[in-house]
Amino acid sequence: MRSYIIKRLLYSVIIAWGILTITFILLRVGPTSPVDRYILNIAAKGQDVESVRQAIEARYGLDKPIIEQYLLYMGNLLQGKWGWSFSASQPVMELIGSHWIYSFQLILLATIFAIILGVGLGILSAVNQNTKIDYATSIFSFIGISIPGFWLGLMLILVFAVYLGVFKTFYDTSYPIWSLENLRQLIMPVLALGTGELAGYVRYTRSAMLDNLRKEFVTTARAKGLSERTVIGKHVLRNAVLPLVTIIMFDLGSIVFGGAYLTEIVFGIPGLGQVSFNAIFANDYAVVIAVTLIGTFMVLFINLATDLIYTYLDPRIRYD
Amino acid sequence: MTELKPGQGGRSRIPLRISHRLWGYYWERLQKNRLSLVGLGFIGFLVLTGIFGPLLVQDPQKTDFNILNLPPLGFSIQESIYDIKTNEITTTMIEGRPEHPLGTDSKGRDMLAMLVSGARISLLVGLLATGIAIFLGTFLGVLSAFLGGWVDNALMRFTDIMMTFPFFLLLVLIVFIFGPSLAIIVLVIGLTGWTGAARLIRSEALSLRTRDFITASKALGASDTRVIFNHLIPNVSSLIIVMASLSIPGVIMAEASLSFIGLGDPMSTSWGTILNTGQHSLDSAWWVAVEPGIMLFLTVLSFNFFGDGLRDAFDPKASV
Repeated sequence: MRSYIIKRLLYSVIIAWGILTITFILLRVGPTSPVDRYILNIAAKGQDVESVRQAIEARYGLDKPIIEQYLLYMGNLLQGKWGWSFSASQPVMELIGSHWIYSFQLILLATIFAIILGVGLGILSAVNQNTKIDYATSIFSFIGISIPGFWLGLMLILVFAVYLGVFKTFYDTSYPIWSLENLRQLIMPVLALGTGELAGYVRYTRSAMLDNLRKEFVTTARAKGLSERTVIGKHVLRNAVLPLVTIIMFDLGSIVFGGAYLTEIVFGIPGLGQVSFNAIFANDYAVVIAVTLIGTFMVLFINLATDLIYTYLDPRIRYD
Repeated sequence: MTELKPGQGGRSRIPLRISHRLWGYYWERLQKNRLSLVGLGFIGFLVLTGIFGPLLVQDPQKTDFNILNLPPLGFSIQESIYDIKTNEITTTMIEGRPEHPLGTDSKGRDMLAMLVSGARISLLVGLLATGIAIFLGTFLGVLSAFLGGWVDNALMRFTDIMMTFPFFLLLVLIVFIFGPSLAIIVLVIGLTGWTGAARLIRSEALSLRTRDFITASKALGASDTRVIFNHLIPNVSSLIIVMASLSIPGVIMAEASLSFIGLGDPMSTSWGTILNTGQHSLDSAWWVAVEPGIMLFLTVLSFNFFGDGLRDAFDPKASV
């Protein structure tokens, strides 16, 4: 088991290195340079543009050949130096450190919301198979899967903020992160981000429940005279949840820079999505690489965690 | 007995390609799923709109500053204008006009014309990018399965890297670097979206390789190319079709998301671009954000319905 984990960790590092290299090359072969933004300010002040450009490039090592820059970056990274953000004028890690919590909170709340409601509706739907409840739930889940999350966000703002005035139209960063006011203004973003996931979980839970309801151990459980509640809750659900773990974990990896990214932009939440978005548009390559790497490591870590949780949940599975 | 040239031995490729009976059988199964027919109907409507629509409506990029924010026909909004000479606020009712049945946006562009143009862009991007992705995925999957060894290893490790890459971040990065044009968007989505298909086709091909009919065909002296094109591809063709139809909505959504955050092709009008405009006029012109979203939602929903129906129709184990 230990050697398996070590192997997986090593493999993760190799994948992360591949992604880092691809991102680095993409950023440095692009037609724009991080210096451009500085130049823009300086040109306005009437200084000699070319000499300033050379000075800045020399200061940040941007005038060296790309291979040398790459090696330099890698060397710094291995020492834990993530570089300097041109656009925010602070160290990259400081920038990320002050913004990650917003993304984390949004994703955490949306996932909890999606799991609780999704699994609940899925069970309800499976237990009432082929009834009106089941059909209504299926239609709802189809709609939830197909509705673009960022558009749902816009519609929520339109109805609840612009017309009904229940919420503010902008995200107020003055509240403490875990205060009630802040949680209240996260209701709309959580709905916008969580609905798609929720709909997916409804479908998976339903089909996994139905699969297991047909199994012989359910008949045995019923024959023993157990109450329907125990049969569903203890026998069917526990077996149905297993594949769901993979799906939830996989989703978690993909929403970090998919749905959450757009949700942050729609609602103006200053999370990592917003940060990386601004960084890309400002050619702030150190930030882009850092955020990409963090996202990658999260996905890799989640994958590994999923496999390990699996061995705990299903003792039949072993990795050697 | 007439001599058969290689490739003409028609009987060897019954699945899908030439068997009208099998097509008829699948069509019959598909028809049992009402929702998938509804989806197919809407897709047909969209295709017709995309092909012929732009001929019937005005230029979607034409601005007219006399008719800003005109509501759709049958709706009206109040507009208050402050008159600086009389120091009075006059409130007028603005009603929708029949020449702009779906209203106009904040630059006086006709919503109907823009939505029609958006249908064309969405379908174009959806079909082309999915085509590239599925073709690449099939090609690399089959290659990987048949060549095995280090080619297989290298390809699958590269797939791992691509699958771990924060997908949307990569899209934004590449489109930003190479400039937002329709061709770049199609290429980027196509060239990054093949990984799932490659894995699926590879595993399918690996299992088909060991089947008796392939062994028999090899024993009869068939070359690898012949086995691949006459036996393997026809046998995974249903899988390819289902994969394509289920990945189109994701591609359409990706294009819309890119345009929404301002990375759409500035020369063309897509639903995402309109949503981007609508986001800023939620309080003055709700329809600009509502209408393209509904189209996007219905399109994605239709492809999901249709893809789901196809999957069930092709699956011999599913009861429809």
